[in-house]
Amino acid sequence: MGKPKVGIYGLTGCAGDQLNIINCEDELLKIFDIFEIESFVMASRAKNENVELDVAFVEGSVSTEKDLEHLMEIRKKSKILVAIGHCAVFGGVQSMFMGKEPWIERYKKVYGKENAVTLTPPLEPKPLAAYVKVDAVLPGCPIEKEPFLKLAGKLAHGIVPKVPDFPVCAECKWKENECLLLKGQLCLGPLTNSGCGAICPSMNIPCIGCWGPIAKENWESEALLLLEKGYKPDEIVKRFAIFGGTERAELLKNFLESHQKQESGK
Amino acid sequence: MRVFKLKRDNFIPFMKGLGKFGELWGPVKKGDHHVYAQASPEQFDLKAIRTIVPAKKFFLPKKSTILKFKNNEWTEHFDVKKRVIFGLHPCDIHALNIYHKFYTRLYPDPYYLKNREATLIVGLSCLPDEHCFCNLTDTETVNEGFDLFLTDLEDRFLVWIGSPKGDEVLKLVKDLIEETTQEDIDEYVAWRKKRRSMFQVSLDLEGMPEILTFNYDSPIWEEMGDACLSCGTCTMVCPTCTCFDIEDEYDIRTDEMDRQRFWYSCVFREYSMVAGGHNFREARSERLKLWYTHKLVGFMSEYGSPACVGCGRCVVSCPVDINVLTVAKALLKEKPDAFWARMASLKNMEVEHA
Ligand code: SF4
Ligand code: SF4
Ligand code: SF4
Ligand code: SF4
Repeated sequence: MGKPKVGIYGLTGCAGDQLNIINCEDELLKIFDIFEIESFVMASRAKNENVELDVAFVEGSVSTEKDLEHLMEIRKKSKILVAIGHCAVFGGVQSMFMGKEPWIERYKKVYGKENAVTLTPPLEPKPLAAYVKVDAVLPGCPIEKEPFLKLAGKLAHGIVPKVPDFPVCAECKWKENECLLLKGQLCLGPLTNSGCGAICPSMNIPCIGCWGPIAKENWESEALLLLEKGYKPDEIVKRFAIFGGTERAELLKNFLESHQKQESGK
Repeated sequence: MRVFKLKRDNFIPFMKGLGKFGELWGPVKKGDHHVYAQASPEQFDLKAIRTIVPAKKFFLPKKSTILKFKNNEWTEHFDVKKRVIFGLHPCDIHALNIYHKFYTRLYPDPYYLKNREATLIVGLSCLPDEHCFCNLTDTETVNEGFDLFLTDLEDRFLVWIGSPKGDEVLKLVKDLIEETTQEDIDEYVAWRKKRRSMFQVSLDLEGMPEILTFNYDSPIWEEMGDACLSCGTCTMVCPTCTCFDIEDEYDIRTDEMDRQRFWYSCVFREYSMVAGGHNFREARSERLKLWYTHKLVGFMSEYGSPACVGCGRCVVSCPVDINVLTVAKALLKEKPDAFWARMASLKNMEVEHA
């Protein structure tokens, strides 16, 4: 078996995930050693876009038509497509729930008119999976070195890694932390993918969910729990929204609406 | 069981003496709670009631490498340290006995056995708080499963010997202990009486196996499932939860594959997922039902006793108040004061106004 052919790409995002791959300084040569890097614009002059790839790593959300075209090309030539970083996996902060009006209204508010961005037509920011099949994901904002190296190790051995199905709370208990949620703080540990090692609660800071919503999250129970603890609906919605991505946005909209009606009904 | 007396003033030298056996671990303060930590005996808090995570962490580490692969060869990997673990209460020792059965009966686990072998268990008596209910689970006293056990009578301790190993290590501190007198025994009897009167939880836990069996289809499980966050805290903190998962991690730096074993939980979504993607317990309610029936019924038929030792950890740890006590109350048709019981009304409020 030859070395797996790999491409590393970025769509709309801060490029922090690619940067963190480059930041694997000591291991970078090893990465270039176990993989045949065909394209990695940020780190290498190599740019063979006409070869079939075994693995494509893609960061960033689909936020323009150009992004979408690029993603389609990558998908077509890649056996395994890995979404890396919050933007690619969940849509990023650019896709968070910002209010109830349609996206284009919010866009006009920021840019002044509908066709303000002319380089390439804009789209409502979405994660890769909204358009193509994604085979594996590595969440994080940005991704971190150790989880990335582990993922790379698995891929080098032909294993398609899966994201842990358990939340930050599990890792938080491994660290034997006092629970901040029990102490009345707005901690999103129960709703957030593990993998970061519960670094924030271990420093006494509540989790804000940067590893993204866990599959089948019970966001409603936690939202009601926080209401009971005295948080206001819009405080809850704001915190849930930051790293909530596109999927949670819709849920939050309904939650907020029913609570605003409740308030005005009083 | 042989018993000696240890004057309080001799406690620190006593522990330091035992420290010749191995690393000293015991309950120390972390914020408003306690954890077992490696520390000098001056730092041990003898008033600690329950640690955040139980002593199972010494025998089934939270995350550990069990095998290493390199160049198509594998070797078992052990990371065994000689340790003195001080401060286990009767419930904790009972839990360890359950662990012992689980990890030695059908498939003796070499990692568990080596860790157990290398450990000296020094129990410590306790006075219950409002969440302890070992009196209801028949685990408030303990006769086996420890090497030494200290009963704290304020100005002195009674030191009980529970194993040949305990007998042996006591030689390290033989100058610090004395024979007991009638006065010690009288004080001990009075102390027991006082302790027994301090338990505050009252509930019919004995009937649970039947009640749970009858209530297998109760709508209560759905209500709990609606509230459960699947956070896994209950299982991580429960001293009798034994589940783990295994994953291979490849290190590109060393070309080594580590087989990692880590604490896992039946409340997690993929726990009951099988090849092909079918999930036997897709619903949170189904997973909670498994937790409680396994703990209180399944264990009973397999090992002769339920697997709850009344330590109260689930009681103080679940963010939405799902724990042995509230579940038992709900099944007994008493109204539990639990978030999941209140949640229904919080939700209704939403619907009413929507
Ligand atoms: S502090 Fe946060 S992450 Fe930790 S157990 Fe509590 S809710 Fe979960
Ligand atoms: S604890 Fe939460 S916010 Fe902090 S790094 Fe982990 S996922 Fe992100
Ligand atoms: S029962 Fe409580 S502690 Fe256990 S997983 Fe559910 S919410 Fe977490
Ligand atoms: S079920 Fe709860 S009280 Fe019983 S042993 Fe487990 S954590 Fe302790």
